[in-house]
Amino acid sequence: MSAIPLSTIEATQEEPPVNLWRDAWYRLKRNKLALFGLVVVLILGFTAIFGPYLTPYDYLTQDLQARNAVPSLHHLFGTDDLGRDVFSRVVFGTRTAFLVAIVVTFIAVAIGLVLGAIAGFFGNPFDSAIMWLTDVTMSVPNLLLVVVINASLKTPIAKWMEAQYMATLNPFYRQTIWVDFFLVFGSMALISWPPYARLVRAQVLSIRSRPYITAAQALGLSNWVIMKRYVVPNALGPLIVSVSAGLGTAMVLESAFSFLGVGVNPPTPSWGNMISDGLRVWQHYPHLLAAPAAVLGLASVAFSFLGDGLNDALNPRGSK
Amino acid sequence: MNTTKSNERLLDVRGLTVEIDGRNGPAVVVDGIDLYVNKGETLGVVGESGCGKSLTMLSLMRLLPNKIKVTKGSASFDGNDLQKMSNKELRKVRGGDIGFVFQDPMTSLNPVMRIGDQICEPLIYHRKMSKAQARQRAVELLRLVGIPGPEERLQAYPHELSGGMRQRVMIAIGLACNPKLLIADEPTTALDVTIQAQIVDLVKDLRAKLGMSVVWITHDLALIAGLVDRVAVLYAGTVVEDAPVDELYSRPSHPYTRGLLASIPKLSDAPASRLSSIGGTPPEPGRRPKGCPFAPRCPLAEPVCHERVPKLEPLAGAGNHRAACFVVQKVQEAA
Repeated sequence: MSAIPLSTIEATQEEPPVNLWRDAWYRLKRNKLALFGLVVVLILGFTAIFGPYLTPYDYLTQDLQARNAVPSLHHLFGTDDLGRDVFSRVVFGTRTAFLVAIVVTFIAVAIGLVLGAIAGFFGNPFDSAIMWLTDVTMSVPNLLLVVVINASLKTPIAKWMEAQYMATLNPFYRQTIWVDFFLVFGSMALISWPPYARLVRAQVLSIRSRPYITAAQALGLSNWVIMKRYVVPNALGPLIVSVSAGLGTAMVLESAFSFLGVGVNPPTPSWGNMISDGLRVWQHYPHLLAAPAAVLGLASVAFSFLGDGLNDALNPRGSK
Repeated sequence: MNTTKSNERLLDVRGLTVEIDGRNGPAVVVDGIDLYVNKGETLGVVGESGCGKSLTMLSLMRLLPNKIKVTKGSASFDGNDLQKMSNKELRKVRGGDIGFVFQDPMTSLNPVMRIGDQICEPLIYHRKMSKAQARQRAVELLRLVGIPGPEERLQAYPHELSGGMRQRVMIAIGLACNPKLLIADEPTTALDVTIQAQIVDLVKDLRAKLGMSVVWITHDLALIAGLVDRVAVLYAGTVVEDAPVDELYSRPSHPYTRGLLASIPKLSDAPASRLSSIGGTPPEPGRRPKGCPFAPRCPLAEPVCHERVPKLEPLAGAGNHRAACFVVQKVQEAA
């Protein structure tokens, strides 16, 4: 075969990427929407971490002289009915939203990953049992479950905390905010894991029987290497996409719960309870509703664009 | 002729039996297979779909899925019993001393890994090469299997290559560690005819260059005529005939082999003539007949064939021609 060596005629190219992740980054960069999503997510992330230190006002400071003020240079998003700076509250709400989203998604993915992998890998009877559990969990209406958990556990836990405080005088037990978070995070994770479990199970099931797994075994690679380099990277695409979209969903979910009064409790600002408050007076003070709703919408859209972009980037076959 | 050939056995499979745990109890799919491959020799393993060719090869490397198990027999490779090795020892053999080329190049490569990395994998794992050394070797290998512009191709993903190219990559991976034995499991079934011929020529060429033994599994007797030294014909999980390739073609001694040879269409056949075929279907695993598994389909079967199972025995006057048939004489006369 007289092949012309391509290396001599090929013009110099930029250094090609050498692994899956750098490759994915290359493709992600070319996707405008995904890039937009990434930038928004990064800005929101930055805001969540540093925002509360940079805002001109504290999110709790009330200025009763300037209640329900319209947006101005002093108060970018105006003030609410207690004269609190809405911009500062939205910024702090970002922190709440990220905290909820990350913790909830992390717990849900952890549960889903373990259960899904066990179900997919070991098969019956684990498979049937776990899938039964997922079906049951998914069949219970989400809001109902969360409301029930809150209604039934909140008071006992609060009482127990009070008793602990009385017994130990440890101020830790006075911080009801942790109880709130614990309940909100816990109940949200409890309803969020089944899709991840199903996804992981399906992935593991289908990848386990692919010929390239047998081929990798025939190369003498250890199970660990096969898991790391063959099973996981092939299962990861859908999971990452799902996680990215799931972060947005968790934020919306938290807002929905706050809106119904079972989410993060005031005075801690969350976009949900701000929307809930704003909705009551939106005819008169639309900015109270618009600001948190817009940010929530933006965050949700950004996460799903990013998820889509990651899907394309992590799947070399799917891209052009 | 090939000078590296010898009579030293590299792979010696004896009485290998594989069973599937089915709903109706265990079913035998590979029934006491006897096979051997000498050093430097190329063995063709021939048989129709479902006769246990692939299962036999997978069971050698203990790559069988969960419900399929080796229940009897031994397989010694280079003096060591593959069935008794620890997993760790076995992993050294897999991809190290025994290279494997799979049937379907479309699905046997990891879709999210660049082919360069996949070729490097066994080199880094078995030969403890550095990344740079492995890449250099990968370029050599790609050049060896006739892929133009190997440096660039290292960066390609499997989906960016054609079927023939992918099969070449699979072969490169199989050859990476200079194996003593290359097992090719129907490596050309998924490819079109011109590419098939190229792959056969490639392996023929490489075998001579590298002095390795090859087991080529196929259902296509005609394809491998010029490639292999010896052929083992499998039927329903047993070896029914085993002979040097010329001998097998000129003096087929099992009715099944004869049927297979007769079913290869020839250009000299009359244009409108019917294609020759073997009537009936192979027995289902778990429902094997009492006597010779081929007896129900055999045109020459005698009462004894339905009663007892014939053993694979050397034919009179030909030391390395073996057949498992009670009516060898009749078969040879009929041919």
